[in-house]
Amino acid sequence: MTANISEFCVEMQNIHKFYGPFHALKGVSLRVRRGEVCVAIGPSGSGKSTLLRCINQLETISAGRVLLKGELQGFVEQDGRFHPLSSGQIAAQRRLTGMVFQRFHLFPHMTALENIMEGPAHVKGWSKDQARTKANQLLERVGLGGFGGRYPEQLSGGQQQRVAIARALAMEPEVMLFDEPTSALDPELVGEVLDVIKDLARSGITMVVVTHEIGFAREVGNHLIFMDQGQIMEEGHPRSMLADPQNPRTAAFLSKVL
Amino acid sequence: MTSEVESIGAGFKPVADERREITRNVVVPRRHPGRWIAVAVLAVLVLQFGQAISVNPNFHWDVYLTYLFAPPVIRGVGWTLLLTVVAMTVAITVAGLLVVMRDSENPILRGIAYGWVWFFRGTPIYTQLLFWGLFAVLFPNLSLSIPFGPELISVETKYIVTPAIAAILGLGFNESAYLTEIFRAGFNSIDRGQAEAAQALGMKRAKIWMRILMPQAMRVIIPPTGNETIGMLKMTSLVLAIPFTLDLTFATNAISNRLYLPIPLLLVAGTWYLAITSLLMIGQYFLERHFGKGVSAHSTRVG
Ligand SMILES: Nc1ncnc2c1ncn2[C@@H]1O[C@H](COP(=O)(O)OP(=O)(O)OP(=O)(O)O)[C@@H](O)[C@H]1O
Ligand SMILES: [Mg+2]
Repeated sequence: MTANISEFCVEMQNIHKFYGPFHALKGVSLRVRRGEVCVAIGPSGSGKSTLLRCINQLETISAGRVLLKGELQGFVEQDGRFHPLSSGQIAAQRRLTGMVFQRFHLFPHMTALENIMEGPAHVKGWSKDQARTKANQLLERVGLGGFGGRYPEQLSGGQQQRVAIARALAMEPEVMLFDEPTSALDPELVGEVLDVIKDLARSGITMVVVTHEIGFAREVGNHLIFMDQGQIMEEGHPRSMLADPQNPRTAAFLSKVL
Repeated sequence: MTSEVESIGAGFKPVADERREITRNVVVPRRHPGRWIAVAVLAVLVLQFGQAISVNPNFHWDVYLTYLFAPPVIRGVGWTLLLTVVAMTVAITVAGLLVVMRDSENPILRGIAYGWVWFFRGTPIYTQLLFWGLFAVLFPNLSLSIPFGPELISVETKYIVTPAIAAILGLGFNESAYLTEIFRAGFNSIDRGQAEAAQALGMKRAKIWMRILMPQAMRVIIPPTGNETIGMLKMTSLVLAIPFTLDLTFATNAISNRLYLPIPLLLVAGTWYLAITSLLMIGQYFLERHFGKGVSAHSTRVG
């Protein structure tokens, strides 16, 4: 048990997810070690977003267990029964994770700086000054020093996404979740966002990244999963798996995107 | 005629750049002869109309001026303004609660919210006000007691539900039903991703409502709520039904009944309603500016 806590940051045990009658995740198990960059690829509708959203409880799982740092998420388990946590307790558990969305979802009524300060100041309860200092540091880190006073609509897509990454980092999460962070960007803006994410990966933070950027998976990933129809079809080290896929469906998918 | 092309040249500002080698475009403002013709025609009409009513003895402008600032009229203005502001505050508070209740996971809270809107929207305000006036007759005593058990406290209703309170609750509760729908439309206009992004930060429900959703919904909510506030200003004249007899319309009616001169006092009341409406519109302007942060102004004006 103790080994578990230190070794695996994210542990999903046999997760099922139903949307009404639709079976979106069909028994997914995944373990992500501390500091690991886990990249998820797969065709559209295969359940990648759903998987990510189960980790931070934006979706309620139908069966199975999600553990973060060994702690069961969303429930207390007693005598084989699951007792749901209160929404306040779930909110507290979500602080372990930070999420970056495909369409940024910055708060449009706040400046870039205020977006980043929001978590530290209003969730962690830091003072305004502390939060502002932190936010300015993070803006520098994502290459946007001097852009703090701009509202999201005054920023390009790539800049917005970098602010969104800084906003998630401001909560100092244990795990960063990225859901296709570059899919909504013009091709020439993809690079600047990927550079920030690569930088993060090297800093040693645990990440789960859903992406269509196979090059990114090869370069910075150290754990690759291929999903199809709600299941993990193949899993392994990116370089070997991309070079020599074992599952025919992985091979078929890769031949289309590479 | 000119409107399709007018803004291409007009209002165009060349790029600000202090470097020497860039010569800015010299932009000559477009002329708008149509506007000047319209102004001239309007001016003639306004002057004619102004003359027609200012020299017309039927308007009794001397009486108008005598009563415009008469104490009962000023008191009426004060009460009308007070009723509007307090009833609107009640309505906004109740509607805010109802909108959160509607979104609640608790089916009983949701049911109450639906029932409230159904009832107050479905019955005429005049009837509601009549019943508020009869409240003290229908329930002479208000008491707190254990059901079928002993009474704990008891008060005579007429000391609690005074005509002013009846007017405020009557107007406020009725309005809350309409505001709930406006608020709901405002919150529904926000992308689901906003709440999810806030949840992902670990924010709790109440904070998400107050800090993320509410300020964004405000942009959609304020214009129709401004309408409703101005409507409420005029609706206060219905409190006669309770009867509550201190508001502006009642005050001016009482004077005109005494003088047998309805026209000048209608003008007095109209002037004051217009003045208060102007004040409310100024308030609305500043609210809209405050909550418009981060969104381009006039984004819907087509060039
Ligand atoms: N809220 C929902 N209600 C019903 N079905 C849903 C819902 N969300 C997702 N699904 C379904 O679940 C399946 C998996 O969706 P998911 O968004 O996880 O796919 P994905 O792998 O992220 O795809 P993409 O690459 O297009 O983002 C899809 O078939 C989708 O239609
Ligand atoms: Mg997806």
